[in-house]
Amino acid sequence: MTADGGTGVALVTGSAGGLGRALVTALSAAGWTVAAATHRDGPFAGDLADLTVADELVARVVERFSRLDLVVANHAAMTMAPVDTHPVDDWWRIVDTNLGGSFRLARAAAPHLVHARGSIVFISSEWGVTGWPGATAYASSKAGLVGLTKALARELAPDVRVNAVAPGAIDTSQLAVDAEAAGVTLDEVRARYANAAPLRRIASPAEIAATVVFLAAPEGAYYTGQVLQPNGGTTMA
Amino acid sequence: MSRSGGPAADRGRVVLVTGASGGIGRATAERFATAGYRVAVHYGTNRAAGEAVALEVDGIAFGCDVADPDAVATMVRAAEDALGPIDVAVCNAGFYEERPLVAIDDVLWERSLRVLLGGGFHVARAVVPGMRARGHGSIVVVASELALCGGVEVAHYVAGKAALIGLARSLARELAPHLRVNIVAPGAVDTPLLPDRDRGPSYTDTVPLRRIGRPAEIAEAILHLAEAPWSTGALYSPNGGVVIQ
Repeated sequence: MTADGGTGVALVTGSAGGLGRALVTALSAAGWTVAAATHRDGPFAGDLADLTVADELVARVVERFSRLDLVVANHAAMTMAPVDTHPVDDWWRIVDTNLGGSFRLARAAAPHLVHARGSIVFISSEWGVTGWPGATAYASSKAGLVGLTKALARELAPDVRVNAVAPGAIDTSQLAVDAEAAGVTLDEVRARYANAAPLRRIASPAEIAATVVFLAAPEGAYYTGQVLQPNGGTTMA
Repeated sequence: MSRSGGPAADRGRVVLVTGASGGIGRATAERFATAGYRVAVHYGTNRAAGEAVALEVDGIAFGCDVADPDAVATMVRAAEDALGPIDVAVCNAGFYEERPLVAIDDVLWERSLRVLLGGGFHVARAVVPGMRARGHGSIVVVASELALCGGVEVAHYVAGKAALIGLARSLARELAPHLRVNIVAPGAVDTPLLPDRDRGPSYTDTVPLRRIGRPAEIAEAILHLAEAPWSTGALYSPNGGVVIQ
């Protein structure tokens, strides 16, 4: 929700990915003006591991649209390896991109969001809640986002709401990475994830995006510091 | 407590405690020593304090920056050369500083993550190969209740401690069934890191148990989880009732 009770300008990172595209589609359909940020291409491109990129992105959005009402931090880097053989630089690149990049986005956007009485949605992960073997960097970064959500929700209240979404398995190209890491076929990894969920299926990107749209909308105006977990019931913690 | 059997039984078990020159780390070094462990006392910069604790617990002090993975690996090798294989690693090193969001510069953010999260990751990657080869071992990370409930002007600290919890939960899954990894998330404890504000009634009146914690109480929880044979990925938050969830 924004100062005028409706939608406004949303910055979505990682918008070229499966969930990112669904976020842009769903937010646009709900009436938001979306600045779709990507890693490499388009008017809002940049690698959020780079310390200056978050400031630049936010400045470009405000320059173009004169306001910023919503930040959806959805970008992520992901590689998997056992803790003692994961190259240290790559391990930290994942944390610095996912957690550090999201922090820098929030820091850059905060003054604008306070002005707009806007909100932030961090895209965490089921793995950030439960942990995951072979994914220490990614899961640490996503767990860190849960902490960042709660800290910023308290600090930026009552002006800015801060929430997180921690999805379970989504039907995106990320599944191929998981399949390779697990040494199984794509169909097998789909079946494995589906069977792990009481609802016996993986999520579509659109239904995760709908959770984000809800949190940002007037209907979500009493949520802050919360982690919504559309995950088919895999974890109930 | 003592573990029965095995080659380690003769020489006593070995624990590495990071951030052991004061506060919770020092109390943890003392508690493990009382339980019969030989203690590798890690300190960051305060060598005199680290060596004083080592003298007190009849252990050995090792100084390094836990933010530096190579320095941590070197320290672990030195500790194992001197004391024998590490059976338990307690990742406790940390620092606490309050700063509003827009004033958290990139230097403070990186330092927080490298110390609070890196203090777990760098120690784990150094001790895990040996523990795995020996078929046993246990890690306890010291997080914070703030990672569970958030806090104002501590985004860098909360993010680092929450990430440390995610690391420990992942390690618990990855290293099972032979190695265990658990989490202690203390509330406000009487250590040098605690702001004076939290020592007085304006804070303690809001604590259901009406006082801050004692370092020895946290050390007891750490020892318990380090040795609890059916606990892994467990989180225990001694906090006087501040977080009840």
